[in-house]
Amino acid sequence: MENTKKIQELLMNAIFEVFEKMFFVFLEPLDEDVKYEMIASINFIGPIKGDIDVFFTRDLASAMVQNMLGVDEVGVNLKLIEDCAKEAVNMIGGNFLQKYDSSKVFDLSIPVFKNESGVFATQEIAASETVWNLSFESNESLLGVKMSIS
Amino acid sequence: MSFNVLIVDDSNAMRAVIKKIVTISGFQMDQCLQAGNGREALEVLAENWVDVIISDINMPEMNGLELLDQLKKNETLKEIPVIMITTEGSSERMQEAFKRGAKGFIKKPFLPEDIRKVLHQVIGVSENGEYKEDTRTTDECDF
Repeated sequence: MENTKKIQELLMNAIFEVFEKMFFVFLEPLDEDVKYEMIASINFIGPIKGDIDVFFTRDLASAMVQNMLGVDEVGVNLKLIEDCAKEAVNMIGGNFLQKYDSSKVFDLSIPVFKNESGVFATQEIAASETVWNLSFESNESLLGVKMSIS
Repeated sequence: MSFNVLIVDDSNAMRAVIKKIVTISGFQMDQCLQAGNGREALEVLAENWVDVIISDINMPEMNGLELLDQLKKNETLKEIPVIMITTEGSSERMQEAFKRGAKGFIKKPFLPEDIRKVLHQVIGVSENGEYKEDTRTTDECDF
């Protein structure tokens, strides 16, 4: 249980760092389901292996592109959204693993992007000790992150 | 003194950000060339001379470490300094990159200052364009 809490803290810190440094997006933890419009996923192999899925609303993904590239809303397109979403999950994975154990080598997969919508139910499987479901809010835009480790 | 820079990353957005940071860092950039992976980088290098390469590691087709190996095998290209910019920041992975010939390492997420600092170290130029010889030994570099 202690370890589960520690991993969640590391994951949250990794997420905050990535969004603040690269996308100038300041997230607040939230305890709500996220109606997402796109997903970016990555998996990693090493001393531990697992998957990370990041669930974005279009608003948040658009804000990330605008902030990162310094463009206005007109300059945002799906290709740039895909790039930023994949970079985000890649950096969350790398940053989390470095915080988890920087002395070990982990191999990250190439991130995958899906332009599909659904509901990320934070509450449903949050109790598991190998799955972490987190949701965040920034300026009324929502973000969900799911990490599972095996 | 102006420089030709090659940025290698499979993300258009990341290449644009790196280009912007290098530009605002005050480096006199002549050409900024771009490639989406190691194989494309070699194609660019076959037709253009560059002074420094900034490359991601985790890319499809040919990753950044494989690119380092290819550069090392080529008499003309092996002296070009390469800065790796990546999310994979384990000390072992960094050592591996340095062994394969990387001259600098930047971890994502990064601040503009991180790129500026490593560029200074690797190409030995200050922001006002003055050349500064790098007299450090490998042991003195920040891993």
